[in-house]
Amino acid sequence: MSKTKKVSRRDVLKTGGAVAAAATVTGMPASIAEAATGNPRWAFVVDLRRCVGCRTCTISCKSEFNVPLGRWRAVIKTVDWGKFPTARRAFVPRLCNHCAGESDTGVPPCVEKCPEAKSGKRMKLGNERYRTGATYKRPDGMILVDMDLCIGCYKCIDACPYGVRYVDPNVKLKRPDREKDLGIGKCTFCEHRVDQGIEPSCVQACPHETRSFGDMNDPGSKVSKLIKEFGLDKKRADTTLLPDEGTMPHVFYIDPEGVLDHYSFDHKNQEKRLAEYRDNII
Amino acid sequence: MAQLTRRNFMKFAVASGAVLAAGEGMKSKALAGDIKTQTGRDFSPTTKKERKAIPSACWQCVSRDSMIGFVEDGRLVKLEGQPKSIRGNGHICARGQAGLTSVYDPDRILHPMKRIGPRGSGQWKRISWDEAVGELTSRIKKLRDAGTPEKFLYHYGRAKASSGKLIGGMVKATGTGSIGNHTGVCESAKWTAQEMTWGGHFDNWDIDNTKYMLIFGSNILETHTNHMSVAHRIMHAKVDRGVKMVTFDVRMSNTAAKSDEYIPIKQGTDMAVFLAMTKVILDKGLYKGAGEEFLEYCKCTEKHDDSVANKIAALKKHYANYTPAWAAQISGVPASTIERIAVEYATTKPAVLIAYRGPVTTYNGTDCERARQVLSSITGNVDAPGTNCKAVGAGWSSAAIPKAKTKKVKDIFDGAPKGEPESYPFPTHHASHQVLDRIKAKGPGTFDVAVWYCYTPVFANGNHMRNIEIVKDEKLLPFVVSCDTSYGDSTHYADMIMPDATYLERYDWEDMVDPTQIGEFYIRQALVKPLGEARDFGDVMIEVVNRLGIKTDYKTKEEYVKMSVDMTPGVKEAGGWAYMAKHGVWNDGKAKFYSYKKEVPASAIKEDGVVYDEQAGVYWNAKKAHAKPGDSYFKTKNAYKYYVATKMGNKLLAGFKPDKINKSGYMELWSQVVKDAGYNALPEWIPAPNQKNMGPNDMHLTTYKVCVQTHSRTQNNKWLTEIYPNNHAWINPKDASKRGIGDGDKIKVKSSIAEMETYAHVTENAQPGHIHISHHMGHYQYGRYASGKRAPEGRDDPDDKNIHWKWHGSHPNQVIPNRGDRLGGFQRWNDTVVQVRKA
Repeated sequence: MSKTKKVSRRDVLKTGGAVAAAATVTGMPASIAEAATGNPRWAFVVDLRRCVGCRTCTISCKSEFNVPLGRWRAVIKTVDWGKFPTARRAFVPRLCNHCAGESDTGVPPCVEKCPEAKSGKRMKLGNERYRTGATYKRPDGMILVDMDLCIGCYKCIDACPYGVRYVDPNVKLKRPDREKDLGIGKCTFCEHRVDQGIEPSCVQACPHETRSFGDMNDPGSKVSKLIKEFGLDKKRADTTLLPDEGTMPHVFYIDPEGVLDHYSFDHKNQEKRLAEYRDNII
Repeated sequence: MAQLTRRNFMKFAVASGAVLAAGEGMKSKALAGDIKTQTGRDFSPTTKKERKAIPSACWQCVSRDSMIGFVEDGRLVKLEGQPKSIRGNGHICARGQAGLTSVYDPDRILHPMKRIGPRGSGQWKRISWDEAVGELTSRIKKLRDAGTPEKFLYHYGRAKASSGKLIGGMVKATGTGSIGNHTGVCESAKWTAQEMTWGGHFDNWDIDNTKYMLIFGSNILETHTNHMSVAHRIMHAKVDRGVKMVTFDVRMSNTAAKSDEYIPIKQGTDMAVFLAMTKVILDKGLYKGAGEEFLEYCKCTEKHDDSVANKIAALKKHYANYTPAWAAQISGVPASTIERIAVEYATTKPAVLIAYRGPVTTYNGTDCERARQVLSSITGNVDAPGTNCKAVGAGWSSAAIPKAKTKKVKDIFDGAPKGEPESYPFPTHHASHQVLDRIKAKGPGTFDVAVWYCYTPVFANGNHMRNIEIVKDEKLLPFVVSCDTSYGDSTHYADMIMPDATYLERYDWEDMVDPTQIGEFYIRQALVKPLGEARDFGDVMIEVVNRLGIKTDYKTKEEYVKMSVDMTPGVKEAGGWAYMAKHGVWNDGKAKFYSYKKEVPASAIKEDGVVYDEQAGVYWNAKKAHAKPGDSYFKTKNAYKYYVATKMGNKLLAGFKPDKINKSGYMELWSQVVKDAGYNALPEWIPAPNQKNMGPNDMHLTTYKVCVQTHSRTQNNKWLTEIYPNNHAWINPKDASKRGIGDGDKIKVKSSIAEMETYAHVTENAQPGHIHISHHMGHYQYGRYASGKRAPEGRDDPDDKNIHWKWHGSHPNQVIPNRGDRLGGFQRWNDTVVQVRKA
């Protein structure tokens, strides 16, 4: 453990330019804190070379959580460009980015906007204390929701520039004063599986190893190796979605062919970004 | 690929348990370290309780991958690939993952029902199973008593492995041989061509050992006969080993999109490119080495024992006019590209050549696949590691099936009689698309009772409206039983419905082709009990046969399957059913290549009745074949069944054993039987007659499949259909603008037989001159998600309020005539000529 901790810290300091910069501002950026506590920092790597758009991840996620029709926690976007006979087509899998949060606050926008972000239980992960909330960030980086605490204000849905959160027509809120309101849903990195040592459903499902999930603080993990090999954390502008939003996504894309250059959506417009977060084949 | 063995899984479980215990004390949940190999378990996201894991096998499509079902409080909630499977390496596809929506389909038929209104009115009443089985049995008994058991027509859509063996066996036990299948609309041209050339059908591609992947008209990354077990190997070969992947296709499929090179090719012209590539390889001498060595085992001229030099000379002569320039004119592929790819394919060894539905669903279908076999052969890319191999699957033993003599109604299953249109010389897998027309041609009285098992003749064949007209006719089909899980487009016209168990509620031994060439034994077991009164049709047929007074060693298919598994060599020693129920899979670890090189002991040709046929070079048992002295092997009916060995040089080899067609043990690139049928013995390009006079506004209609649907079967699986709820017609902007068609516009597509209405998707991924429409959508029935109509007795579903699509698509089979390829009679799905206009 101590060996892992040491290497992780060095690794993070050496390679995590943006993270290191953040550390000096806030004093407690996610990665450093996690390394110091011995906690994992979960991250997700999507290898766009491998994705064939088969939707196995999409359906696996639907099934794992019995997600209602018209709502998705994981989607594949088809990206087309060029003209016949040299037209091109590629696929961009999308899921919640489990953002570390803006560099000046260390808080992702969904958590920042949640009025009940700290109304839950006191918890401890490794050496780090934290509080759960209706929407909260666990010290290992997972952005989770708790429908026992949610008041249904849906501000988190507005706040997420990626449009990954949805109102769940089949889930009612639990708070006595809000029982008639609908809850929300989002990708949880399959926290219920990961906590049992089982990889997320979509990672298991992907036939082509497009999706990798693991601990950035463990230099021996597959995600750490991929992040290092492709310099994913050094050039976030090319390897994460909406880098200008400063949300510090922890879903990285391996994209040697520049597919992401051809993928965009109007993320400022709520209707459009929610519509974009749907899975559809024409 | 990370394999989770039982041992390291247990080790991990212990370790994680320790961490969890510690974490509990610290109010901690997470685990440090890499979890990438941990699979095979699942937990409820709400209660956090572990879900019960049960090994089984998929049946969302014929690939039938091994998987694990997860059950929570008696409800099936999740399906994942079986990590121990050497075929799937832990993977199933999107359709597989969605399979459980078939079990809980709110439109699923759960009780036996009998029609009460006019046929096709959709009015039904529930009946008991006793009444349903009684009615079917008494009708069959009446036919048996009258000496006409063949008037019981059994037509199945999908029944493989133990389901095929048992149900087929029970049907035959009633005395009928009037059995229809669906291969004639599926891939029979490939099989017929393979039977002509290398005997028993099915090719496998040894992707794990290949260095070059050349694909023609096969969307193998989205959908395929052996989809996921091959697809995941392709992407690993491509990305991890840098194996080049080149795809020819009429439209940009996802497979084409992921290839290193995508080469658009005009509909139905793959054969021209095969022929030209062969010529390039012959002219450049690229057959030297592996190709020459393999040609020893090929028949390329009339003489089976010709020298390799003579074989090459004969091929060069036959291929002389098939130049790249000639093929370029036909296919639209530049001659330089044809030449370049030919050289790459011939010089990057070993290489696979995956050609599938696209090339063969055409007038030249069977001969096109023969041309593909020539290309593989002259480069030596046959049945060796890294090449096109003879497929290997599990060989299960079967518990005893009652033996019976059967009678069959003639001129129904193989197309029209000789001399009439739609008659075919080699319908080795029948011509199912002609069956309804043949019933009509034969007239009333041909059949008394028809059972459609998992089969939709109305929808799965071309010319829907005519199909409906025929199945509605009670004189032609007096009593029709539909046995299926869904309320299908054909079920709607049945007289009685027998609700089948879904594949997730039943037992089977399974045997689909193993890409590793080892041959994986695997099983299916019920993950949950059949819903309602649904019942495995295997059980129903056992009961029918028992009621007829025929004894069986088992009362259910479950018993039959377990008995068979327990008696299968290898599996038996491993622990039989008890082992398979726990692990799901078993294999002997031995890859099987070069099957044709196996030597036959000299004693085999000394057996009584074995003679040598000089013309074929074949030893065969003429006595058992009831042949007269001097009868030719090639011309004696079913002589292939009595094949013993082939003499090659001074060796006696098993060779490429024949199946369904009289051939020698050589790879018969030059075919005596094809010649005897009046065609060229070597593959020959003949332009499709219906495309000879195409005008400037005529277009090719081609059909295709997508990654989230299977044929016409999965459309009421809500999670799949919400992603692909309808099927827009792909049209290139050039063709669209000429016709004033914009993206999303309503259009009309007219063929020689009918006109359909649909919506356009204007895309650069369509090829000019072509319109591409998937053949999944546009159901008339099948349930709320598929057609917008609830099935009889359809139940409410929590998702009813969430359905977000209104248009359910339009099926291209409406406008496609039922026509077979010139040799094998395979349905020509892809060579319909249409006119397209804005509606």
